[in-house]
Amino acid sequence: MRASTPDADIDRRDFLYLCALASGALAPGLSAGTAGAQTAPRKGGTLRVGFYLEASTMDPHLSGSKVDRQIYHNIYEPLLTLDVKLGIKPGLAESWQQPEPKILILKLRQGVKFQDGTDFNAEAVRFNFNRMKTEPKSVRKGEVASIESVDVVDAHTVRLNLRRPDAALLATLTDRAGMMVSPKVAQERGAELERNAKGAGTGPFEFVEWVKDDHLLIKRHDGYWGKQGGPYLDRVRYRPIPDDTVKLQSLQSGEIDVIDYVQPRDVAGVRADRNIVMLDVPSLAAFSYQLNHTRPPFNVKALRQAVAYALDLDQIVKGVWLNVGTPANGPVPPTSWAYDKTIPFIKRDLAKAKAKLAEGGKPSGFAFTITTANIPINVQEAEVIQAQLAEAGMTAKIKLVDAATQLSDGNSKSFDMISYQWSGRPDPDGNIYQFFKTTPGTSLNWSGISNPQIDALLDKTREVSSQAERKKLYSELTKILQDELPMVYIVHPIEPKAMSPKVQGYEPIPDGMMRFKDVWLKA
Amino acid sequence: MGRLVLRRLLATVPVLLLVTAGVFALIHLTPGDPVDVMMAESVDDSVKTTLRRQLGLDQPLYLQYAAWMGKLLRGDLGRSIRNGEPVIENVGRRIRPSLQLAALAMAISLVVATPLGILSAARRNTSVDRFGTTFALFGICMPNFLLALLLIFFFGVKLRWLPISGYLDPFEEGLPGLRSLVLPALTLGLALAAVVTRTLRSSMLDALSEDYVRTARAKGLSESRVIRGHVLKNALIPVVTVLGLQLGTLIGGAVITEYVFALPGVGRLVVDAVFARDYPLVQGVVLLIAIGFILSNLAVDLLYGWIDPRIRHR
Repeated sequence: MRASTPDADIDRRDFLYLCALASGALAPGLSAGTAGAQTAPRKGGTLRVGFYLEASTMDPHLSGSKVDRQIYHNIYEPLLTLDVKLGIKPGLAESWQQPEPKILILKLRQGVKFQDGTDFNAEAVRFNFNRMKTEPKSVRKGEVASIESVDVVDAHTVRLNLRRPDAALLATLTDRAGMMVSPKVAQERGAELERNAKGAGTGPFEFVEWVKDDHLLIKRHDGYWGKQGGPYLDRVRYRPIPDDTVKLQSLQSGEIDVIDYVQPRDVAGVRADRNIVMLDVPSLAAFSYQLNHTRPPFNVKALRQAVAYALDLDQIVKGVWLNVGTPANGPVPPTSWAYDKTIPFIKRDLAKAKAKLAEGGKPSGFAFTITTANIPINVQEAEVIQAQLAEAGMTAKIKLVDAATQLSDGNSKSFDMISYQWSGRPDPDGNIYQFFKTTPGTSLNWSGISNPQIDALLDKTREVSSQAERKKLYSELTKILQDELPMVYIVHPIEPKAMSPKVQGYEPIPDGMMRFKDVWLKA
Repeated sequence: MGRLVLRRLLATVPVLLLVTAGVFALIHLTPGDPVDVMMAESVDDSVKTTLRRQLGLDQPLYLQYAAWMGKLLRGDLGRSIRNGEPVIENVGRRIRPSLQLAALAMAISLVVATPLGILSAARRNTSVDRFGTTFALFGICMPNFLLALLLIFFFGVKLRWLPISGYLDPFEEGLPGLRSLVLPALTLGLALAAVVTRTLRSSMLDALSEDYVRTARAKGLSESRVIRGHVLKNALIPVVTVLGLQLGTLIGGAVITEYVFALPGVGRLVVDAVFARDYPLVQGVVLLIAIGFILSNLAVDLLYGWIDPRIRHR
C-alpha cells in the first residue's frame, strides 16, 4: 500500500473509491458509502469529531497549529480553495487574473455575508491583508510578505500589488493566509476573537462555543451563500482526546463519529473492524531530519552523504511506519503536481557510506546525536536509524526531547541531526523555500544551509509562472538537495482517517483538512 | 487548636517560598520558550522579539521572579501566555473535575478497602485474607494507564455500559455526569484501595497483638466490638496518613488518568502548560497544588488529634 497521486483523468467519485480500496475498507463500509452516494443527503444531526489535541486559537491570522486549520475550514473560507488533485478552485474569489507577474486581480463573489450580517467585499479583503501584515502577533506575515499593497478596484474586485513575482501565492491563499475574518468582529472584539469566533467567518458553519479542553461546537450557517450541496449537519462537535488508543476506542464504541488520524500501529486493526470505514488520505507531509551545516560533524558534505547512504528507507517505512507512507526522495510529496517520480529515493549502499566516511576524514566512523521528539513512533524510527548507522560504523546517541525543546534546539542550531515533521503545504514552495533559502537569524532553515545555486533556483521557482517549468526547477532542486543533504528525507506519510459508516459525503483532500460542508449522517 | 493551626500555617510560608523559587528556576532553565512554541511556523524574528519584550521575557530571571512575586503578594497570579486568561480562571475551570474525581476515587477506595482490610486482618491466613492481599498486590503493581485501558476496553468498547472519555459535571448533568467519572474514578480508586487495604491490614495486625486487645477479649467483649472499639481506632493513624498524602496527589497529579480519559483536570493543565512553556500558568498551578498538599497535610494532623487524643495533649 503506497500513497499514490490521483490520476489526472479520474473524477472525484473514482478517487474516493480508490482511496477506500487502497485503505482496504471492508465491504460494509464501502457499500455504506456507495449506498450513501445513491440516496439523497439528509439534513440534521450532530457530527462528533475526535482530535488528538485542542485548538489553540480561533483567529486564523494568529494560528500556528494544524488542528486550528481543521476547524477554520468549516467556519472561515479562504479566497481560493483546493480540489482533490490540489488544483486551485474559486473560493470567496470567483475568478482571478494575473495581467503581469507582479499583479494579481481577484474578482470576489457577490452576495456573501459574514455570519455577523456584514458584507464580504473588497474592503474586507483589504482589511484582512493589512491585519495579517501589521497585527503584532500575526503568524501570517511571512506568507503575505510578497504582497506590497492591496487596492480596492470596485466593491467586488481587489488588486494585489506584489513586491516580486510569487508563483506560490495562489496556493497560499487557499489556507489561513486567504481566510477572511469579519472586519467588524476583528475591530470590535479584537483579542476576544482568539477564544470566540462568533459571527467572524463566511463559512458553512458558525462558531457556537468553546469549552476549553472539553469541546468546541459549531452549527450550520443557514444564511450560507452556497446553494449547491450542504451544509447538511446541524452541528459539529469537536473533542480533544489526547490518547490515540482512547480516541480510536471512542470511535469503536460509537461515542464519536470521525477521527482525524489513525496511528500506523492501529491501521490493521481498524481495517479489520467492520463498523469503521477507513480512508487512506495521502498527505502533503514530509518527515525528515535536518543536518546541522554550521558545526562539525555535518559541516562536511561527505559525512552527511555517509548518513544518507547508510539509511534503508524501505526498511524504515516497512518496519516503523508499517507501510502507512512511502519512502521520500525529497521535500515534494507524491500528491503534488511537482513530484518527480523519476527521481529515486537514496538507496542504502554501505560500501558507498564507508567510502564517504573516508572521504570526510572519518574512515573509522564518528559519533553524533540525533534529537527527536519523545513520541513512540519517533523513538522507534530513531532507534532503527541508530542501528542502521551503526552497521556503517557511525555511532548515534538519541536525545529525546519535548516539542518546545526541539524548537529551541532547532532555532538555536544546537543539534547535530534533528527530526523535523512538516505537515506540508499545497504549493511546493511552502515545503521548500523557507527550509533551504539562505536566511540569517531564526528561520525554518535549521540546517543553516547557504548555497548560492539553491538560492538562485528557489528565487526562480517563485518568478516562473508556468507549472511545467516550475516542476522542472523543483526536480533540479530535489536532485541538488539529494547531493547537498541539508535534510535527510525519510517518509511521506499517509494520514488515514476513520469514521463511522453513517458518515457520508466526506471528500478527502490531501491537505488533510476535514471539510464538513457536504457531509451528512445516514439515519 | 487555633494556635496549632496558626503555627502550622505560618510554618508553610517558607515552604511555599521555596516551592515558588524552585519551580520558577526549573521551568525557566528548561530549554525552549513560550514564544517559540506559539510561533513555531513563523519565520519573522522581529515578531518574536516584540512579543518577548511585551511578556517581559527579555528581563533577567531575578527581575522576572521579583515581578511575579510582587503580583502574587497583591493576590494576582498573572495571566496564561497561551490563552491570555488569568491563571486563577484557568485553574478555577479545571479544579472542579479534579476535585470530583478525587472525591469519587477516595470514596471508591474506602468502600473497597475498609471491609477488605478489616476482614483480611481479622481472618488472617484465611481465603478472605489471601484474596485481600492478592487484590492489594495486583492494585499496587498494575500501572494505572494499563488499568484505564482495560477498563475502557471492557466497560466502554465491549459492554458499552460507560462512556470512554470526556467530562460532564455531575452537579449540572446529574447521572450522565456521574457516569463520565466512573471509569477514571475506578482507575484511581482501585489503586488507592490497594494501598489502603495493605496499610489497614498491617496496622490492624499490629493492634490485634496489643495487650489491650487481649484484655478486651478477656473481659468477654464480642469480636466485633473489640475490632470496632479497640483495634480499628488505633489502626487508623497510618491509614489517615496515607489517605491525606494521596488526596494531594489525586487533586494535582492524576495526570495520566486525566490524559487517558480526556478529563479537563488540573494535572493535564499543568502538563500542557509545561509543554507550552506557559511560565505564569505553571508557576501558578504548582503553587496552588503545593497549597493543596499543605492543607491536606494539616487536615491529616488535625485528624490525628481527633482520632487519638494523646496526640492532641502532647
